[in-house]
Amino acid sequence: MKISLNALKQYVNMKVPVSELLTLIGSRLVEIEGTIDLSEKYKNIKIVKVAECEKIAGTHLSLCQIDAGTKELIQVVCGAPNVHRGMLAVWLAPGVIVPSTFGNENFKLGSKKLRGFESNGMLAAADELDFWPDHEGILEINPKDAKPGDSFAEIFDLNDIILDIENKSLTHRPDCFGLVGFAREVAGILGEEFTNPEYLFLGVSNKNSDNLKIEIKDSEICPRYSCAVLDASKLQEKSKYLQKSDIFLFKAGMRPVSPIVDLTNIIMLETGQPLHAFDYDKFASVGGAKIPQIIVRLANNDEELQLLDGKTIKCVPTDILITSNNVPVALAGAMGGANTEIDASTKKIILESATFSLYNLRKTQMEHGIFSEAITRFTKGQPAEQTSPVLREAIRRLDATPEVVADCYPAPGKLNIIKISTKEINSLLGSDYSIQTIVKTLENVNFSVYAPKIGHTPKLSLGKFAELQDDEIAIVAPSWRTDIFIKEDIVEEVGRLLGYDNIPLDFPTRPFIESKVDDTLVLKNKIRTILSDRLGANEVLSYSFVSEDLLSRANLDTENVYKIVNSISPELQCFRSSIVPSLIEKMRDNFKSGHNDFTLYEMNQISSKDFGCDADGVPIVKTSLAVALFGDFYTIKNITSQLFAELGLNLDIAPIDKHPYFEPLHSAVVSIDGTPVAYLGEIKKSVLRRFKVEKSLAVLEMNLESIKSSSANQTKQISFSKFPSVFRDLTLKVSADTDFAAVQHELMQVLDAKSLISSIQPVSIYQPESNLKTKNISFHLSFSNPNKTLDSQEISDIMEEINHKLSKTLGAEVV
Amino acid sequence: MTVEELKKQLKLLGAEYAKIKTLPPEDRKTFGEEINKKKQALLKQIAEVEAAAESADITKIDLTAPFPVNAEYKTQKFGTKHPLSAEIDKIIDIYSHMGFNVIESRQLDDEFHMFDSLNFSKGHPARDGYDTFRTEEGFIPPAHTSTMQHRALKKYKKDLENGGNIAVVIPGRVFRNEDVDATHEHTFYQCEGVFVSKTATLGQMLGVLKHFFEVYYGEKLRIKTQPGYFPFTEPSLEILIEKPKSLGGKGDGWLELLGGGMIHPNVLKAAGIDPTKYKGFAWGGGIERLVMMKYKLNDIRYFESGKLDFLEEF
Repeated sequence: MKISLNALKQYVNMKVPVSELLTLIGSRLVEIEGTIDLSEKYKNIKIVKVAECEKIAGTHLSLCQIDAGTKELIQVVCGAPNVHRGMLAVWLAPGVIVPSTFGNENFKLGSKKLRGFESNGMLAAADELDFWPDHEGILEINPKDAKPGDSFAEIFDLNDIILDIENKSLTHRPDCFGLVGFAREVAGILGEEFTNPEYLFLGVSNKNSDNLKIEIKDSEICPRYSCAVLDASKLQEKSKYLQKSDIFLFKAGMRPVSPIVDLTNIIMLETGQPLHAFDYDKFASVGGAKIPQIIVRLANNDEELQLLDGKTIKCVPTDILITSNNVPVALAGAMGGANTEIDASTKKIILESATFSLYNLRKTQMEHGIFSEAITRFTKGQPAEQTSPVLREAIRRLDATPEVVADCYPAPGKLNIIKISTKEINSLLGSDYSIQTIVKTLENVNFSVYAPKIGHTPKLSLGKFAELQDDEIAIVAPSWRTDIFIKEDIVEEVGRLLGYDNIPLDFPTRPFIESKVDDTLVLKNKIRTILSDRLGANEVLSYSFVSEDLLSRANLDTENVYKIVNSISPELQCFRSSIVPSLIEKMRDNFKSGHNDFTLYEMNQISSKDFGCDADGVPIVKTSLAVALFGDFYTIKNITSQLFAELGLNLDIAPIDKHPYFEPLHSAVVSIDGTPVAYLGEIKKSVLRRFKVEKSLAVLEMNLESIKSSSANQTKQISFSKFPSVFRDLTLKVSADTDFAAVQHELMQVLDAKSLISSIQPVSIYQPESNLKTKNISFHLSFSNPNKTLDSQEISDIMEEINHKLSKTLGAEVV
Repeated sequence: MTVEELKKQLKLLGAEYAKIKTLPPEDRKTFGEEINKKKQALLKQIAEVEAAAESADITKIDLTAPFPVNAEYKTQKFGTKHPLSAEIDKIIDIYSHMGFNVIESRQLDDEFHMFDSLNFSKGHPARDGYDTFRTEEGFIPPAHTSTMQHRALKKYKKDLENGGNIAVVIPGRVFRNEDVDATHEHTFYQCEGVFVSKTATLGQMLGVLKHFFEVYYGEKLRIKTQPGYFPFTEPSLEILIEKPKSLGGKGDGWLELLGGGMIHPNVLKAAGIDPTKYKGFAWGGGIERLVMMKYKLNDIRYFESGKLDFLEEF
């Protein structure tokens, strides 16, 4: 939204410099996204008189001598069809920046020859002045408004600063979408009392007329509908001169159209209340009734209406329609229908001033893609109280005598009286404002305040609220404040208008007890440190939404995944039930872009309908870890065992039968206390083919919730002796089908039985091609006694016992 | 001179000192001092010669080279944490030290937590599909971490009843129906904060947040506000901090980093907390922007790209 500083000055006495004003508005009302200094943009532009004007033969050009208020006439060549002798025009002299290029190329005109004639600068059209896209002819100035040599900016109020307001943070403030409302806030911020234009309090009463019937089907969708029938015959002619009101519209980002439309737009810019004009005769005839019957109702599905811009829309049931005797004539709040458009032959108009449900209009706006100035205001919820005063003011300015004025206001709002104490205000803000300051602040922006303590008595009857405690005040918000309901709303007004930045900073006090970080977050942090800082893996984050196709490629069931109905694209439709498919893609992409030896991992939430819902009835989400690398089962097992060791968990693995993407014979399941918590192993070749991965890829997938309780208080086991360790290499020949784990287990048993502190480091597993029946497993053993140094006899006894025991239980043979 | 020669001189000096007895008593002091001076000089010289001899057989190497000549060295490859995770851990750490509990936000939620419990009116535009994703069942991948406020209030309500406060921060992943470009992502991270006590004030909120950013950026910073509007806080505001010097701030730039305000009484009420007894404040802000400013990144799409070239930088 664009706000003119000069326009604000019409309502507020600005006591502070502009820079300070902008800072105050930014900190107490709304963010200003930028400012445009029009006085720079329209600097040195003059109004001139075309003293002589002759056609240049064989061209569309005219040779003009202009009077710029200096002694000598200046020659300008002009191509506009409307240039003529005696007119006042706008002259861009040599050296002046063409306003339409201001801020971009800053193009300066010079003196140059056109068709052999010297031309000094140019006479300007609306587009060159960056007003609106019109190049039909040059602008003509009314001799009553100016004389040759006058500064264009001065005459047309262009020595102004335009504030570009961030609309989004004012969505709850319909009043601020009008100049009056905005100015009222500025006055409040400056600590001045705001004086409203009188017309805001003068309305027509709630009445229907015999000559026009209004029916609102549901006051929820249209709280109030006011309108008047006016003679339009005198209102139609557009002046050929540039009007000051045209510039007013331009400064708000609009353009002049016709006298009636311009006036409704100007009033909208001032008050925030959009108006709409229908052709009276067309309105009546469309509905087939002699007297117009205005019926406001919701649209039926697929009901069609051709709009003013020529497009025919299909309505949705949340659209609100203005109908003439049930035949649609306007999409309420958004755009009029073509069937009631005013044109040159219009004799009478129906001027509408109404308000509609902002929620319905927001849907209409999005459904039909209409983002006009009017609907922008309606979607903030314009107050019902203002429809009739604004209509009355429009009639006055059109200088027309209405034939009919009608007003339908089925359910006028009730007064909301809020009682609050100074203490309550200060204790929520952390401030120390006096009752006088608070009352004045609220009264400045036209709240009615009853504060008996300081002698402010109510203008309104307050009933039981009249009895107030010591420092209490009773407040009634003005009708245009549709956002004030509770005490805290009053606290906000006081805090904001007096400046949140003036509140002293403080700290809460708190008891001396520990704060706790959630277990899953702690575990994630721990795993991140192990995988990234110790095991060389890179953490990735990828989208939680994936395509159904991605999950299918990994053989995952897509029936049970949560699907987004309004997803941005099919690529982002499913809430993933596993991180693994995303990770396989990231592995592939990085490999394709030239990376070779790397490990990726991600920890994120997954869900599936299988998981069920929690006590709140929302889907259970689980935090999953997936680690992926190019390699075989043993590569991922190596990382897994290091991770588990660091987390203080036992790696208890068992074969798996079936899995969507893990290769059963090359994968395993890890359990803690009998509960499966992780899978690790190679991804099925068939799955990899569908992902276009040509290398063996291995993955660890782990559910963090199920290990967090096991891991939380676990400490990595450490044991060492102060006496020297003995190191021995040992190679055992066992039958090919003997499990490595069995051999390791037996070795451990021997060493543990002797209460030794030991480590068994596998070195190799060797199976010659010549003999597939046996294999040799080599270990590097180290052991020590915690109480003494082992002597050579004891060492050889230990090694002998190993031979004996393993030969007996596993038929192993020391090589 | 070699060490041996110097030691010989030292010996001779010792012999000369013996002459002191032959001198008249008044000359003995000067003589003694002189001999001692010579002795100290010789000892110093010996030490220097010995030190030079210690490294005599060490050859010069190129200290700027990565490895020696004729050798192959494998450099240790380190992994990396995702910059967003690392930043969230840092943020958690600061708030945790300030006494806040930490829980994580959930990535699937419902209408109640996302809107109803946060005082969004029934027809509020944020509820419609233009902004908020929904599943076939009507569940919502949340558009802000505020979706956790109600849960946090309920979870820690017992702390209030035991005479303490509710103090919790909630980092997490959120989603918005947004077309992706260099500055927009549909998937991003936020961190929410909730504080409730009998005496909470807006001044306290600003004090806490100013302190947080001063610790986060390691320098004194100014804080300022702008009015804001959120259905779940009243008053509502946007919180800006002075652009830190570490980000190239020169004392005149401001960064809009958080939205927040005093928790709306309806939000407290919905969680079973009496708003006439307890007050609270809550705030929230994005994580990506902090990381982008820190590393001068100009494209938000890197974060979820999974590109090693990007990840390995951290």
